[in-house]
This record gives sequence, structure tokens and C-alpha cells, in this order.
Amino acid sequence: MRSEVKFKRLADDVFECPVGSPLEAQNLARVLRASRLVEDAVPGLNRVAVTFEPDRADDVQAWLDTLRPTDWPASEPSNTLEVDIAYGGADGPDLEAVCATLGLSQTAFIAQHTAQTHTVEMLGFTPGFAYISGLSDAWSLSRLSDPRPRVPAGSVGISGRFTGVYALAGPGGWPLIGRTAAALFEADRDPPFLLHPGQHLRFRSV
Amino acid sequence: MLRVIKPGLQTTLQGAPRRGVRHFGVPACGPADTLSLALANRLVGNAPTATGLEITYGGFVAAVERACAIAITGAFGGATVAGRNIAPHRTLHLKPGDEIDIAPPQIGARTYLAIRSGFQADEMFGAASTYLPAAFGGLSGRVLQAQDRLAANGLSTYSETLTTPDAIRPVFTASFALRACKSAETSLLSRTSQACIFAESFVAGRQATRMGLALTGHTLELASDGKMLSAPVFPGLIQCPPSGTPIVLLADAQTTGGYPRIASIARCDRHLLGQIRPGNFVQLLARDPDQAATAYREKKALLAPWLDG
Repeated sequence: MRSEVKFKRLADDVFECPVGSPLEAQNLARVLRASRLVEDAVPGLNRVAVTFEPDRADDVQAWLDTLRPTDWPASEPSNTLEVDIAYGGADGPDLEAVCATLGLSQTAFIAQHTAQTHTVEMLGFTPGFAYISGLSDAWSLSRLSDPRPRVPAGSVGISGRFTGVYALAGPGGWPLIGRTAAALFEADRDPPFLLHPGQHLRFRSV
Repeated sequence: MLRVIKPGLQTTLQGAPRRGVRHFGVPACGPADTLSLALANRLVGNAPTATGLEITYGGFVAAVERACAIAITGAFGGATVAGRNIAPHRTLHLKPGDEIDIAPPQIGARTYLAIRSGFQADEMFGAASTYLPAAFGGLSGRVLQAQDRLAANGLSTYSETLTTPDAIRPVFTASFALRACKSAETSLLSRTSQACIFAESFVAGRQATRMGLALTGHTLELASDGKMLSAPVFPGLIQCPPSGTPIVLLADAQTTGGYPRIASIARCDRHLLGQIRPGNFVQLLARDPDQAATAYREKKALLAPWLDG
């Protein structure tokens, strides 16, 4: 089901449109980015925002008004990528606490996390950070009360309904359950990030 | 051209903001005070976003190793070249052996130093601006350190000696009145808090980074639990976390956030965010998007004869 395209002006330089799904947000944002009027078209999980020079607002509005839901393509088929994760230990310093909260053994946690197919819903927050759905509905974990000033690239955390993967080192507030050695970021690759929205993932314990 | 002797608290190379990459989670970066860097660049004949130094709270000393033209703008607490006081907002012609010493400003937070042709810096995602949290852009993605050498991106001398016209020199004080629009989740605030954000004066909190600035003095109330799915955020946007202490986002802002978005500093005044110090007063002036766009057009028209001249 496609939502109607209904942009609302949020500020002098931002329009935003609610959409029905993360994937729809990605697809609409891709169409928007093709316009030279747009500085950035940023998908959230259930909306898309565009920024522009405030003195071009009328042109942007006129163009957005012409958009119809049929203007952006539906989801592209995606292969399933296998991502190796070293769970627990120094790579996943919060796995023990996470398992205690969920009332699971580490073996049971890993079995469940690796059993399902997961889907990258969006990149955001920090460079290349991937929000990945597919966790058991019964799991909903809070963020750390004290975010870490620096987590290593490749760290894997879980929070809310998502698994999160840190493509680059940086500050991080998600409880960390493991780490992957996958080449998540390569400056010379186009796009430079390995994971992209819509992509299906299987995690494998190594 | 320049060899750093004292880097100061946080000095980074900043130039053009990154555009068109926020959907990868990559922030804009660039100078926290875009206008001050543009004015410094103008004085040495550069494009407005050529890469310059952003010096936070002064304390920067460097030795000149090759003749160059520079200009200093933004927060200014005095500076010397070869021991002699120099003025901001003027082209300075330096010779080898000179030492530049930029004192901490008492008012405003960030001083900008531009060099003719811009500084060489690492490019990443289409721009050279430093992003400290993930360590890219600028000089190896980090703050400058003593003994770092900075080179210009071309010929570093300049034949002209220019001065910023008085009428367009930003003047900083300890109080900031910033035009702002309501945002997507303003209505999630209680009625009282909705009125408060545009009526009361806030105090800039102690955490004043390139990512964000807390506005303290009034605790806002969310009418709901404030939980929402991660949504796009931008520099200038004000988020309200459950603590009720709003946070204004700056140049290094994250690209998405899960806190209600309660207001947005209008683009015409966003450059001023880079000069707010902890303890300064911040008042938001309510504008609708069209009024804010008009103010942007007016400011652009005021600056154009000089910046585009």
C-alpha cells in the first residue's frame, strides 16, 4: 500500500512527507535526490524530509505537488547477505547483560538471532549506522544509560526492535552483543557502505 | 605554510558542508559559523566555503614557514603577528618566520582563519570538512596538534588588501535572539511549554559541541511519552528529549533522531549558533516558514554585494 504524497513545510528550508514503511521512505527519497532543487532527501523510518535553499521554497513546493506515488519504483529485489558475527566476550561486552534481561542463555540468544532473516531498514544517525529489523517481537531493549564515547567499527548492538551495526568507530549508546569483521565501509567503493536499505541479512556466529 | 605551535582546545579544518549524503547517515559538518568563514575567505579571494581553520576558544599559535595571505574573523579576543597587534576582518600578508598568536575570545566561541587558496585537507563524501566522531576529513579526521604542518591548496600569496565593510561585520554579544520556526512535533509539548519556547530566554548549557547545544533554564513538558520512530533531523533543529532540556543541533548533527522535533532555527540565523558560549542567553523569535525565508533572502541580499563582489 502506498501512502499519498503529502508534504508539509516544517521550516524555512524543510518539507516532510509521512510514508507507510521504511522501504517506501527509501524509494521516495531516491526520487527526491534526483532533483537539483534538493540539498538532501533523508528517509526516516516512516517519513521523508527534503532540505532546500529557503528562497527556492516556491519552486520546491510546486515540484513536490506534481509528485505521484507511482513516480517512485517499488522495492528492488535483494539478495541475502551473510554477515559473520563474533558474539559476546570483548566483541560484545553487553551480551551477558542483554541475555540476563531477556532471560535467555547466550546460546539461546545466538540461536534466535542467527535463525531469522533480518532486513536493513535505513542508514542513519551516524555514518553508515544500519537499523536492521527482524528481532523477535518479545525483545525490546533500552539503550545504555551511559553511551560509550567510542565503539569500534563493526560493533553490533540491539535496541528497541532493531539490531544496529556501526560501520565506523564513533560514539554509541546501544548495548553491544558482538562484532563483525565484514568490510562495512570502503572509501573507494560506490556506495562506500556495504549495507543498504532493503537488503536482507542472515547473521552467522563465528 | 603554517606549523602549529599551540593548537588550542579544539581547532579543526572546516570548509564546505557535505550535501546529498545524509541518507547514508553522514552529517554536513563544515564551520559552525558559516558566515564568519565565508567572510574570512572573501578577504583572501577564496570561494566562501574554501577550507579554513575553526579555532574554538582561541589559544592558537602557529609559525609561518612560507609567505602567505590570511584573514581572521569570527569571535575575536585579540591576536598578534610577530608580536604586533593585528585587526580582524582584514587581509594580512605574512612572511616566513612570523608567528601568529590568537588569544581566547571573551565573547563568541569560534575564530576563523582563512588562507589564500584554502588549506589542503582530506576529502571524504565530497567535502574536506573534519568530522571528529568518525575521524574523517580535515587532517586525518582529528583536531590539530602541535607540529602539524598545514599547506595551502595553491598559491598562498594575494595581491590585494581588503577589509570587511562595517555594515556586514557580525557583532557578537552574550545574548542571542534567533529566528525560529515550529517543527513537526511542537504539538507534543504541553500548551505551557509550546508558549515557553518562544517567550522565555534560555541559557546555553555546559555541553556546547559541534553536534549540539543544550538550552537550559526551563524544563519543557511533553504531553505524551514522546516516543517516536527515528525521523530526519538537521543542523538548526531543536529536539526535546524526555529530560525536557531541549538540544539545538549544529553542523555535526546526527542525521536522524527519535526525540520530538519542537523548533528549527531559521537558516538566516543558523550561523550564529557557532558563537554561543555556555552561559549565554538564547531567545527564540517565532517566525512562520515564509517569514523566515524572507529574512534569509534579505540577509543574502545584504551580504551579496560583498561576498559575490
